Amino acid sequence: MRRVRAPVTRRAALGGAAAVVLASCGGGDPPPSTGPRPGSGAALLGSLLALERAVIAAYETSAEVLRGDALRYAAVVRGYEENHVRFLEQAIRDLGGEPPAGRLAEEYERTFPRLRDEQDGLRFLEDLEERQVRAYLEALAELPDRDLRLSIAGIGADEGSQLAVIRVLAGRPASPHPFETGAL
Amino acid sequence: MSEPSTRRTALAGAGVLAFAVLTPVAAAQSERSDVEIIEELLTFEQRLESAYAAALRRDAIDTELGELLRNQEREHIRALEQVLRGLGRRSPRATVPPPELGSALRGRDTFARFALDLEGQAISAYMEAAGGISRPGLRRPLGSIMTCEAAHQVALRSAAGLPLLAPAR
Repeated sequence: MRRVRAPVTRRAALGGAAAVVLASCGGGDPPPSTGPRPGSGAALLGSLLALERAVIAAYETSAEVLRGDALRYAAVVRGYEENHVRFLEQAIRDLGGEPPAGRLAEEYERTFPRLRDEQDGLRFLEDLEERQVRAYLEALAELPDRDLRLSIAGIGADEGSQLAVIRVLAGRPASPHPFETGAL
Repeated sequence: MSEPSTRRTALAGAGVLAFAVLTPVAAAQSERSDVEIIEELLTFEQRLESAYAAALRRDAIDTELGELLRNQEREHIRALEQVLRGLGRRSPRATVPPPELGSALRGRDTFARFALDLEGQAISAYMEAAGGISRPGLRRPLGSIMTCEAAHQVALRSAAGLPLLAPAR
């Protein structure tokens, strides 16, 4: 019997692209360093850092199709993400590691989908923010140091706000679920 | 917990750099048991649920938004009560609504600001809980409620015509 393939929506395609971005964002990066002891959480922080850098690049690329409020808030959110990057870099150093170097903007852009308009841009950013929420919530369960977890929880709350802002800008409810788990 | 609530208000939504200031306070609370942490979160959720319910009765919030937020707080209450039962505790008695609620119900703008403050306090409590609770299996679920409350703040700001996010520092 011939299988009927489900149609791939534009949204699903952009979501899939986000998954590819995140799957690849840390793959080619060098490991944090040999400094921190195993189990310190430095490797996990390195993964979060790679993700944050990819997301910043995505905000820069998406800015080309955003206008008005969407463009203005994208710049604000990018500022939040840059603060997160600085925090993560310092946290890795505090654990005795060296933060992995980021990639060139062109390298990130090669993994991004083609964004045709503002809705495409906002859907792509929403998918990335959902993945960041998930990554920070997972880190909460895994990081061994309590103070570090407290700070990571703070960033997780930021990501929840950012995800909601992107939804509002796209004309969707800010809080569609009682438990915001993010997405893989 | 009276002193942290002031700090929580100031820190809510301020991002990780401001949150770093919270760490000494949180460290002082590290002796709290998991049951005490969940009970405190339940108190916040009950306040939020009763605030949205009262606002709906007094038309101090858009009906669709108020029902959505109230219903999501009820889901959080149910989840926390389930956790407490799993830890061998009964749910604490319902809390008395804060005295400011009465004046906050005078209009939609005043209620939105009141609710934003209350949500901010809850978010900070969840940050401490998700990072500090000793049972690793509870951290992610608590974090998922924390991110939901953060989305509530954005929904309230949007409805009140306020900036959706404060500029990053």
